[in-house]
Amino acid sequence: MSFFGALRHRLRVLLRPAAYQRELDEEFRFHLALDAMQRQHASQAPDGSVARMEARRRFGNVTSMKEETRHMAGLGFFDVLLQDLGFALRTLRRAPGFTTVAILTLAFGIGANTAIFSAVDAMLLRALPFRDPDQLMKLSIVRPAHGDRPGSDDGVWSYLKFAVVRDAQKDFTSLGISAEDQATITGGSDAERASGEVVNAEYLPTLGIQPILGRGITSEEERNKGAERVVLIGERLWQRRFNADPAVRGKALVIDGKPYTIVGVVPVGFRGLSGRAEWWVPVGARYEEVFEPDEAWDHRFILTARRKPGVTTARAKAAVQVLGARMNQAYPDPRYNGGPPEGAMARELDATRVDPVVRRSLLVLLGAVGLVLLIACANVANLFLVRAASRSREIAVRLAVGAGRKRLVRQLLTESLLLSLLGGVASVAFAWAGVRLLSSLNPASALRSQGIEGLGAVTFSSIHLDLTAFGFAAALALVTGILFGLVPAIAATRPSLTSALKEGTAPPARALGGIRWPGSRSVLAAVEIALALVLLAGSGLMLRSLANLLNVEPGFDPDRMLSLRLNLPGQGSRDSMPGFYDQVIERLSALPGVTGVAIGSCPPLSGGCNGTVVDLRDRPPAKEGTEPAVGVHWITPTWPAVMRVPLEKGRVFTGSDRKGTRKAVLVSHTAAQKLWPGEDPIGRPIGVGQGGFWKDTAYVAGVIGDVRYGTLDSLPGADVYLPYAQSPGSRMMVFVRAAGDPLMLAGPVRAALRGLAPDLPVYDMRTMSSRVADAAARARQGAVLLALFAGVALLLATMGIYSVISFAVTQRTREIGIRVALGATRGEVLRLVVGQGTALAVVGGILGLGAAFLATRVLQSLLFGIEPLDPVTFGVVVALLGVAAVLASWIPARRAAGVDPVVALREG
Amino acid sequence: MLILQTLTVQSMHGYGIAQHIGRLSGSVLAVEQGSLYPALERLQKKGWVGSKWADSPTGRRARYYTITAAGRRQLGEEISAFDRVLLAINGVMRRA
Repeated sequence: MSFFGALRHRLRVLLRPAAYQRELDEEFRFHLALDAMQRQHASQAPDGSVARMEARRRFGNVTSMKEETRHMAGLGFFDVLLQDLGFALRTLRRAPGFTTVAILTLAFGIGANTAIFSAVDAMLLRALPFRDPDQLMKLSIVRPAHGDRPGSDDGVWSYLKFAVVRDAQKDFTSLGISAEDQATITGGSDAERASGEVVNAEYLPTLGIQPILGRGITSEEERNKGAERVVLIGERLWQRRFNADPAVRGKALVIDGKPYTIVGVVPVGFRGLSGRAEWWVPVGARYEEVFEPDEAWDHRFILTARRKPGVTTARAKAAVQVLGARMNQAYPDPRYNGGPPEGAMARELDATRVDPVVRRSLLVLLGAVGLVLLIACANVANLFLVRAASRSREIAVRLAVGAGRKRLVRQLLTESLLLSLLGGVASVAFAWAGVRLLSSLNPASALRSQGIEGLGAVTFSSIHLDLTAFGFAAALALVTGILFGLVPAIAATRPSLTSALKEGTAPPARALGGIRWPGSRSVLAAVEIALALVLLAGSGLMLRSLANLLNVEPGFDPDRMLSLRLNLPGQGSRDSMPGFYDQVIERLSALPGVTGVAIGSCPPLSGGCNGTVVDLRDRPPAKEGTEPAVGVHWITPTWPAVMRVPLEKGRVFTGSDRKGTRKAVLVSHTAAQKLWPGEDPIGRPIGVGQGGFWKDTAYVAGVIGDVRYGTLDSLPGADVYLPYAQSPGSRMMVFVRAAGDPLMLAGPVRAALRGLAPDLPVYDMRTMSSRVADAAARARQGAVLLALFAGVALLLATMGIYSVISFAVTQRTREIGIRVALGATRGEVLRLVVGQGTALAVVGGILGLGAAFLATRVLQSLLFGIEPLDPVTFGVVVALLGVAAVLASWIPARRAAGVDPVVALREG
Repeated sequence: MLILQTLTVQSMHGYGIAQHIGRLSGSVLAVEQGSLYPALERLQKKGWVGSKWADSPTGRRARYYTITAAGRRQLGEEISAFDRVLLAINGVMRRA
């Protein structure tokens, strides 16, 4: 009873402090009134005021008794907190400059950290958007390197190889396959190009996705070739084309000219493993051929599997390795005769979410932005120390009149925490801007054109500010508040009372007690310089690497060029395609402002072009599996001229390279050197493993310059060009060279193409220069962000030096006055002060150089054409910091040089 | 201890307790009456004393304090401890 009574009492006090206060007031009033009544009664005095006064005297100090009672009740903590907060607010308001600088510094530091953290969270940490993602594994075909062919451990699957694994495995509940595909969607509204996935029946269940409407794909539909074609559609497509009609089931969606019956709608947000899909069709409906035995090497499916409960990752990995051997037994690669066998491996799906390059870039940025926050903390701590120094008298007085040191530290900490929390609140604006910037980065095309892999479902667009991010920001604000507040608070409350009280007549350096010069503040400034140097070195390297990337000659001229894709319906006869594309060239060339039009199969710098092997027909045949590998491209005669790829030897294609004439190829400079080193390639017979150029021997007609088809930072490969007229395909890219702004042509080009073929969607229309920009996007973003951080760091470090030197000059005014009186010249005083700043910079610089030597190593894999210890970069960075240090100490130095000895000595 | 002892007689309001202690001890133990309240607060926190508002004989509402069972136990312990000390002091004084 009494225990609960006590508990109830405490709860009441804590939960209803106002009521408690009222009762206390009433109880005291009652006591006083009663006492006064009794006194009056006893003394018989007519006037009650004497009695009241007597009662008060007997009672003691009412206010302090109340306070004491409240303190006893446990409300003291809140009283003190409120008091401290109020005091902190007042002091901060009295120093608006200091407060603004500190809050802005912190807001930037915390905001930038929150933004980068959001990116790290979305890209690296947050769970994949599938059910129980930790049970999901990705299975890949492993192909050891052999001959000319590089190895790979992330190969995709053919249906038949997948079937071997599916039928023999025991450790997975389900295995889903998916192949990303693009198709023209017609029927209902306008024709459009939309991404989709060709999947098996278990694909959606494996990922744990339930259709919100209708059903999934059945295993009959997965295999059935002739049956009715079915499709599941994404919620966005459902809204766009069907106005979210709940009775959409049974309606038709026309994909590449074939009608599919809609059987279900998948939930919003699900875009497949590719992250782009809007429709899902069974394998049998779109890839009828994959079940044929000779298609076992038609690799196109990503294989995802869900582990059975209780099956460990290690066991699944081991099992897949065994299954890989079985798969190789069933379908040994015919081209690997005598070579090492293929196999299979499993890795956790989560591990494949982003490319290692992205992971590393993000972590580097996180480290960099963390350094910026550290510098910001150091700077604010510095400001606090300077302020604490100027408040040392106030603090000494308060200590002298009996304030507890703990109480003072607590109050100073309240001040710094308040500041950091305000900074945290203001940081939301920075974080918001930063996240908006980050999430708009890197469209998938940019990632692919840089050869960056990873799960399409994890994209930059999934970066957003959420509770996690806000929690992170709040935690940061708290930690920084303590970080930059505690040291100054402890230092400031350690003054020797007497000297601080003596109105600063003693040498001020001593008078500051705990803040000895050159003490904590100089150390902080030196650390700031060191950290800034690390950031500057890193960003310098990234910028130089970016410059190198941008200086790479892509091998063609991207200037004033529009590019777009066309895809002829596959049904038409292949022989009619060249005629169609001839018309395209003719129509577009006739447009005003167009100076040239060409057709090619694959845009430069985008990756993913076709590759094959060649056979040199005038040589003994190469051993199987060791034939030279080349990239293969289909072009029209105008292509080299329009792209401005130079002809080095021989001739380009002409109108007479058509079907029925002798087959001709062009080879790139690198291909010529690789295939016929030191010989003349013109007229050589060659077989190319694609486009029908294997059976009939072709002859080399000319050599053209190298074009980079992969990434900017990879060397151009050996490429072979086939004349489009001799080997037509349906999906081509149109390149239009403009006289002026290529985007002005977008409308007329579209109109002209619609006039030619109304049902043909024109897609992926972009200028070539934007494609080139994509190719350098990652390097650019990394470099720009790092440079921004480094710039802020430099600014903060400069402010740090400035505040230290400026403070020192103020404190040494008397000393400088004496020096001047004794005959020191202006120049000597200048040198003295600037020398101090420089000394700080040298110490910080040496520290920073050491740290930078270590830190820039992590950048190695992100750099192109430059070493992490590049002496030029380091030289420039050190010079930059030196200049900043001299500048930062120059202003206070001039003030010092202007000291009038008479004034200084008299005032001192 | 004095407060607890006082409350064993009957529940009282703060002024009553102050008067009681003042009357019984003469003016020897008369401290500032206000310091009674922090002490009462402490006893409530320990659970030795409970309180509730009731009408006083003058008609004004007042807070009446009551000793709890735990308070009585505590008082017993304190008294016996005090007695021991008193005995010891007496013993020493007599010998001297």
